[in-house]
Amino acid sequence: MPWAAADRPFLDPAVIARLGTLELKARTIVEGFLTGLHRSPFKGFSVEFAEYRQYMPGDDLSTIDWKVYARSDRYYVKKFEEETNLECHLLMDVSGSMAYGSHHGMSKFEYGACLAASLGYLMNRQRDSVGLTAFDEDVVAMLPASSRPGHLRALLVTLERLRTAHRTNVAKPLHQLADMMTKRGLVVLISDLLDDPAEIIRGLKHFQFRGIDVIVFHVLDPDEIDFPFERATRFEDLETSEEVMAVPGAVRDHYVKQMGDLIERYRRELGASGIDYQLLNTKHPLELALLSYLSTRARAL
Amino acid sequence: MSFLAPIFLAGAAAAALPIVLHLLKREPETRVRFAAVHLLKHAPVEHTEKRHLRELLLLALRIAALALLAMAFARPFLPGSAVGASGAVTVIALDTSSSLSAPGVFDRARQLAKDAIGHASAGDLVGVVTFADTAEIAARPGTDRVLATDAIDHAAVGFGATRYRAALSAAALGIGDRPGTIVVVTDLQENGWDAGDRVSVSERTKIAVVDVGAPPPNLAVVGIRAQADRVVATVHNSGDRAREARVRLSIDDRPSGETSASVGPNQSADVALALPQRGEVAAVAVDDPTGIQADNVRYLVIGGRTKPSVLVVTGSGDLSREAFYVQQALGAGSTPTTGYQPVSATGAQVSTTSGDALAAHAAVVVLSTRGLERHGREALAAYVRGGGGVIVAAGPDIDAEVIADVLGGTSALQMVPPSDARRESRTLAPADVRHPIFQPFAGNAGSLGLVTFRQAAKVGGSGCQPLARFTTGDAALVECPAGDGRALVIASDLDNRWNDFPLHATFVPFLHEMVRYVATARAHAAEYLVADAPAGVRGAPGIAMLSGGTGGAPSRKIAINVDPRESDATRMSAEDFQSAVTHLKETADAKSRVQAREQEDRQHLWQFLLAAMVLTLAGEGVLASRTA
Repeated sequence: MPWAAADRPFLDPAVIARLGTLELKARTIVEGFLTGLHRSPFKGFSVEFAEYRQYMPGDDLSTIDWKVYARSDRYYVKKFEEETNLECHLLMDVSGSMAYGSHHGMSKFEYGACLAASLGYLMNRQRDSVGLTAFDEDVVAMLPASSRPGHLRALLVTLERLRTAHRTNVAKPLHQLADMMTKRGLVVLISDLLDDPAEIIRGLKHFQFRGIDVIVFHVLDPDEIDFPFERATRFEDLETSEEVMAVPGAVRDHYVKQMGDLIERYRRELGASGIDYQLLNTKHPLELALLSYLSTRARAL
Repeated sequence: MSFLAPIFLAGAAAAALPIVLHLLKREPETRVRFAAVHLLKHAPVEHTEKRHLRELLLLALRIAALALLAMAFARPFLPGSAVGASGAVTVIALDTSSSLSAPGVFDRARQLAKDAIGHASAGDLVGVVTFADTAEIAARPGTDRVLATDAIDHAAVGFGATRYRAALSAAALGIGDRPGTIVVVTDLQENGWDAGDRVSVSERTKIAVVDVGAPPPNLAVVGIRAQADRVVATVHNSGDRAREARVRLSIDDRPSGETSASVGPNQSADVALALPQRGEVAAVAVDDPTGIQADNVRYLVIGGRTKPSVLVVTGSGDLSREAFYVQQALGAGSTPTTGYQPVSATGAQVSTTSGDALAAHAAVVVLSTRGLERHGREALAAYVRGGGGVIVAAGPDIDAEVIADVLGGTSALQMVPPSDARRESRTLAPADVRHPIFQPFAGNAGSLGLVTFRQAAKVGGSGCQPLARFTTGDAALVECPAGDGRALVIASDLDNRWNDFPLHATFVPFLHEMVRYVATARAHAAEYLVADAPAGVRGAPGIAMLSGGTGGAPSRKIAINVDPRESDATRMSAEDFQSAVTHLKETADAKSRVQAREQEDRQHLWQFLLAAMVLTLAGEGVLASRTA
C-alpha cells in the first residue's frame, strides 16, 4: 500500500523543539519516520543478495552462479544491492538571518540543525558517509564525511556548538566545497537562501559539474512567507542591522510577491539544472524533508 | 503684534492637543529583527528618517493650523502700522460763508488754510472741511497733503450763513476717536453761534482758531418789503463811518428807480422807492464794491407772502383777544422770513371756506369749535386726510365731539373736559425727548417742566400716541394720525387760562416745533433764505420758480436771499469761540480700546491668518494622505 505524506502522523516541529538534545530529536524523528515506512522500497539497502536473473548475452561472466548451473543446467546471474558507500555532505547555513523564528516555533537555524541531525542519523544508520560544513560568509566548521558509528556523535556535537552570527555568503563556501570534494556523492544544502540567487545557483551548479547530486532545503519561517505583521513596524535586518519602517498592510503584497518570485526562481532554475529543491516551512514536520532526501538518494543510487 | 481679543489666544493651547493625544495614545514602538529586510527595501514604503521628517512636518502643520485659528479669533493688529505715523489728525475747517465774499478776503482765508496744512505735525493725517450753513468734507483725512491743498484751492465762497456747529461736528466726525486738531479758518462772526449752541468734541481734540480778520466796511440790503405803491429796502452800514448808499430798484429785471441815502456808522436806514403799477419781481441793489458782495442785492416777489400762514380758528375771529399768545408766538422770528403768519378765522368762516383755501395754510390751530358746522368739519377732515396738520388746544372752547368728527373714526379720539372742582397743578414731561417736537429741548428738557398746568382735559384714543404726559400720568400731548395728515392735541389751552405756558420762554419754540411737525410738505412762503431753500431750488440768491408738486397747486415764484445776519460784522474773540466747545473726557482704557479697534478694522490681519490656516490645512491634507 503506497504511503501518503499527508496521512502520516508527523511530529509537530513545536514538539520536537521541546526535546532535549539534538541526538534525541534526530532519533525521534528518524525512528518514528522509519517505523511508519511499512512497505518502503528502501528496505534492505545494505550489502546483501537481491535476486537471480537468467543470463543474457553481455552479462558479466563473473556474476554467473555456477552452483545453480550445476543443479539446474541453466545460467543464472546473481544480482546484489549495490555497495552503499555514499558520501554525503551536509552544508548548514549559520548566518545571522537563520536566527529568525516565530514566537511559537523553531528558528530557522534550529529547524535546519534538527534536519541536519536527522539526516546524519539516518545516513549513519544506513552506513553512508556523512560530513558537515557550517558556513556564513566563510566556512566556520567542517567535519569530514565518515561512516563510522562514532562519527554521528561528533556530527551532533558539532551541530550543537554552532551559533548564528554573521552575514551570508552562500556561494563562496559552495565553491570551496565543490573544489574540495574528490568523490561523487551528495550535497545537502540547508539554508534560507537570502542571498544573491544567481550566485547561489552558480555555486550549486558547480557541484553538478563535478557529478555531485545536490539537494537544497530552503528553510523559511512562516512569517517570511506570509508576512503576517499588522502594526507599523520597524524591521531590523538580522545581519546588517539596517532598519526599514514599514506599514505591513501597505507592503505585504509587494513583499509576498518578491518572496514568491525568489522561491519560484530557485525552484525553476534549480529544477532545470537537476538539483532537488525543497521549500521547508518551519511550521511543517521535518519528516517531509527526510522523504525528499530519500527519494533523491534513491535516484542517485 | 497686539490682539484685540487676547482671550482667544488661550485657544492656541489647543495646539498642544495633537501632541498630548499622541503622547497619551502612544504605543511602544514595534521592532522586529527580520531576515528578509532587503525584500522590504524595494517596497513602496518610506524609510524611517523620511517618514519621521514627514510626521514632524505633519504635526507642525496641525499645530500651526490651530495656532493660526486662535490668532485669527484674537483679532491681531500691528500697533505701529497706522496710516499716519502719529495717528493724529488735523482737519482744516474753512469758512465759506457769504461774509467772506468781500474782495480778497476769501483768498486770504485760503492762504491761511494752506498755512495751517503746512504747520500740521509731520505724521498727522490732514483733511479739509468747508462750511457755511452746512459742512462738507472736501478732503478726507489722509497722508496726501497735496490733495488737502487742492481741496482748498477748489473751495469757493458761497451764499450761506456761518454755522460753527455744523463745521465742528463734521470735523469731529472726520477725526473720529483719534487725537486731532480742528483748525477753524474764519472771520469769527458772532452770529456763527446760535443762542445756546454748544458743540462737544473729544478731550483729545484741540480747537485752533485762525482769524481771517474783520470784514471791510460794508453796505448791505438786509430787508425788502412792498408797501402799497412803493418798495421799502433796509440798508445797513457796518462801517465806522457814515456812508452814502446808492440804491437801485429793478422790477422784472428792468431798472425801475434809483435813489441815494445816507446811512450812519453801524446803522440801518429804510429807503423807499416807487413801485410801478405792473411787475412781479423786485430786486433792490446797493453799490458796495469793497464790502461783502453777496448782500448787495435782495429780491422780493411782489404780493407774495413772506411767511407760511397758519390758520387760527377762534370763536370770534379776534386773535388779539382770544389768541393773543398764539398770534404773537407764531409771528415771532429772528428774521423777516422766519416764523409764521397767523391768519384768523371763526368756526363759521371755516365752514364756508373751500378746500383749496384751507390747503394754502401750512397748518390749522383750532382753539374753539364754536360755529364749526358740518361743512366746516368735513372741510377740516378733508384737509387733514389730504396731508394737512391740525393742532387742537383742548381748552374751554373745544367740543370733543366736533374734534372727533374732524379727525375721523380711525383715531377714536376721546376728550373729557376737566371738572371745575378738580384743580390740580401738574407739569409736563416728554415721553421721548428724541421726538422732533422735543428734540430742540433735548439739552434743556427740564425747562418744559417749569410750566404749570392747573387744569387739563383727558385726551387719548386707541389710534393716538401720547408724546408727553403730565406728572399725574395723564396724556398731555397726543398725536392722532388721520389719512395722510396728522393732528396734535394738547390737553390744555394755549391762552394763559388753564396754564402759564404762554408766559414761559419755551412757549414760542414749542409752538413753532408743533406747527413745523404737522405742517404739510408744501412750501407756503414767497421768500426763503439760502439755507432754507426748498428742495429742487438752487441755494443762491435770486428768483426761482417753485412747482406746485403733485397736489395740483400752481407753480409760483419765490425769492431766495442771503441770511441778513451775515451782514452783521459783530465779531467775537477766539476765546469766546472756544467757550462754546465742550471737551468730553475719555478714559485712557476707552481711548486705547477704540484706537486698537480702529487699527484692527483697518488692517484685517485676521483674514490673512484664516487664509494661511486654510492653506496649512490643505498642505496637511496632502501630506497626511501621502503619509497614510
